[in-house]
Amino acid sequence: NGIDDLQPLESTIPDVERFKDTANLELACPSCRQKFLFGGIVASNYYSICYNGLQCKKCNHMFTPLQTTCQLERCIRSHISLYYAGWLHCDDPTCGNVTRQISVFGKRCLVENCTGVMGYRYSDKQLYNQLLYFDSLFNCEKNKKQEIKPLYHSGDEQYPKEQLTDSSIKALAEQNRELMNLNRGIVQKYLSDCGRRYVDMGNIFEFMI
Amino acid sequence: EPQLYKFRTMRQNLLDASDVLDEQIESFTKIVQQHFQLSPSDFGDPTIQAQNEIYTVGRIVPDSPSSDDFLNTESLALEISRMVGIGRRVRLDLTYVSEGSFFSGQIVALRGTNATGDSFTVSELLHLPYPNSPVSTADELEAYKATLNGSDLKVILTSGPYFSDTSFDMDYLMDFVDRINTKVRPHVLIMFGPFIDVTHPMVAEGTIPHFTNLKTQPNTLDEVFIKVVAPVLKKIDQNIQVILIPSTRDAISKHAAYPQDSLDKKQLQLTKNFKLFTNPATFQLNEVFFGCSNVDAFKDLREITKGGNTSMRNRFDRVSELILQQRRFYPQFPGAIKKLEISPGKSDDKVFEHISGADLEIPYLGLTEMVGDFAPDVIVIPSELQHFTKVVQNVIMINPGKFIKPSGAPGTYAQITISSPNINDGKLTRMSDTEPVYLHNVWKRARIDIVSN
Ligand SMILES: [Zn+2]
Ligand SMILES: [Zn+2]
Ligand SMILES: [Zn+2]
Repeated sequence: NGIDDLQPLESTIPDVERFKDTANLELACPSCRQKFLFGGIVASNYYSICYNGLQCKKCNHMFTPLQTTCQLERCIRSHISLYYAGWLHCDDPTCGNVTRQISVFGKRCLVENCTGVMGYRYSDKQLYNQLLYFDSLFNCEKNKKQEIKPLYHSGDEQYPKEQLTDSSIKALAEQNRELMNLNRGIVQKYLSDCGRRYVDMGNIFEFMI
Repeated sequence: EPQLYKFRTMRQNLLDASDVLDEQIESFTKIVQQHFQLSPSDFGDPTIQAQNEIYTVGRIVPDSPSSDDFLNTESLALEISRMVGIGRRVRLDLTYVSEGSFFSGQIVALRGTNATGDSFTVSELLHLPYPNSPVSTADELEAYKATLNGSDLKVILTSGPYFSDTSFDMDYLMDFVDRINTKVRPHVLIMFGPFIDVTHPMVAEGTIPHFTNLKTQPNTLDEVFIKVVAPVLKKIDQNIQVILIPSTRDAISKHAAYPQDSLDKKQLQLTKNFKLFTNPATFQLNEVFFGCSNVDAFKDLREITKGGNTSMRNRFDRVSELILQQRRFYPQFPGAIKKLEISPGKSDDKVFEHISGADLEIPYLGLTEMVGDFAPDVIVIPSELQHFTKVVQNVIMINPGKFIKPSGAPGTYAQITISSPNINDGKLTRMSDTEPVYLHNVWKRARIDIVSN
């Protein structure tokens, strides 16, 4: 059906802007326990993407596909669970009420005399963006075009010492397409249940009518 | 009905959530009015100063919005519905209440006075009525008896995890399936998740071992279930009906909120004798109503007790009664969360990583209420706490315990044996009605064993 192929309007926002507040994907090396941030097929002091998968630079361990997908899935689930923890905050900066209490008037702040409006601290829009960010990390086309949000900026302590060439990124993306799609499948599993995504698509129809 | 659980997750609306929270107070107001035969004029707004005594219904909340927990009977407040008290909250003075048990999210009915304007002094805590028990007609009972040829109904209950914290070893599960097929031979096996726990330490560390008996290794956690767990489950005799109830920590469920949609039978490649139910689920095995819920209410429900008689009682008895009175399988609100302290590094502030929680989808909490306002004959709520079976208000409450302990030590499961219903043996109570119906009295007819694995 055509509906699923429609992309939400918001996707016209460049990823760097759209994902500026999203959390990074942290992976642990199953062999040496080194933790590092995964940022797609990019240069990193901690890992390299080889022609046959992800490798830890510290101990040279080659990740099996399951060793990546299970950590990605666990990370997604802890984000979903944090969303469901239902932390609210008051929009009045002088109030600062952060709570999981909900008034029977949902948006009312429970601090006496405060007229601020309560809202979810981890909104469904943020969670949706977070899932889209994880999706982008394993998107071959975006990796090839080097459109992935960078993990580090020059001057950062962990800024990669060596850079990858454009042609090697393209080659690596193709060689790892299966692995990338496997991980993308994990993200898509949750995106397929994500109500926010369908709201975005609903908006498109409103716009078209 | 299971269709109602197929809502999309991750799109919770705050106004929908507050509608449900308001509705809970309103619906209990009606129950209290009817049960105690009070008139609407007996009820008042406890947040307003008045000299006369009133009745009121509301939700127990902490007296400060910033404290997630309350620690004692002096820090409780009552939240009133939109209609009665425009959703205001008032501090409770429980000096004159001698016995009672309170928790965050509990709906209570009180009698008292707000003489000063800043607190409501409670003179009586009304005991919320227990829901009714289900009944069957003589014809129905005869038919159930016939389907079992008069023999006992045997049901086995297990609860995950099915692996220890340090391995994905299937030996225990294989032994169990073998025993079920050859010795135990139940009619029904009810298995609670998590089957693959997404918070399992080896998942977090990515250290799931190579499965030596497999030619092709699983590439995802879903495939770990399909290639490693499902083949063992499929060895369960086809004549034994197996019911799977998920956990919100199940990697094989994409619906990570409670109430939770059932698992996908096709995707998990399970056979005909498997039935996949929602969490929670209420269903009948012959005449017996089962209420199954897979969020750890027994662990999470944090009570404040008042009075020696109350605190001396067994906690599982108390919590069981509270669950029945609240008519919901997980009455705690906000739901519990589990977080892990991350090494703070240079800063003095503690940093926490969120791990898991009750993951309540509040707008849909209506689906977690006891169906039709009936108390099931048997309620199963697996818990991390010590396994137990209790009869509380004629309802059998069971925590089968974990199948395997985190250490890898053998855990437990529960076996229920229920004698066939017989309207002549005096164990069923005939209710005087135009059409004669009978209480099932399962608690009189059942034997429950907690068995070590
Ligand atoms: Zn390593
Ligand atoms: Zn994360
Ligand atoms: Zn405020």
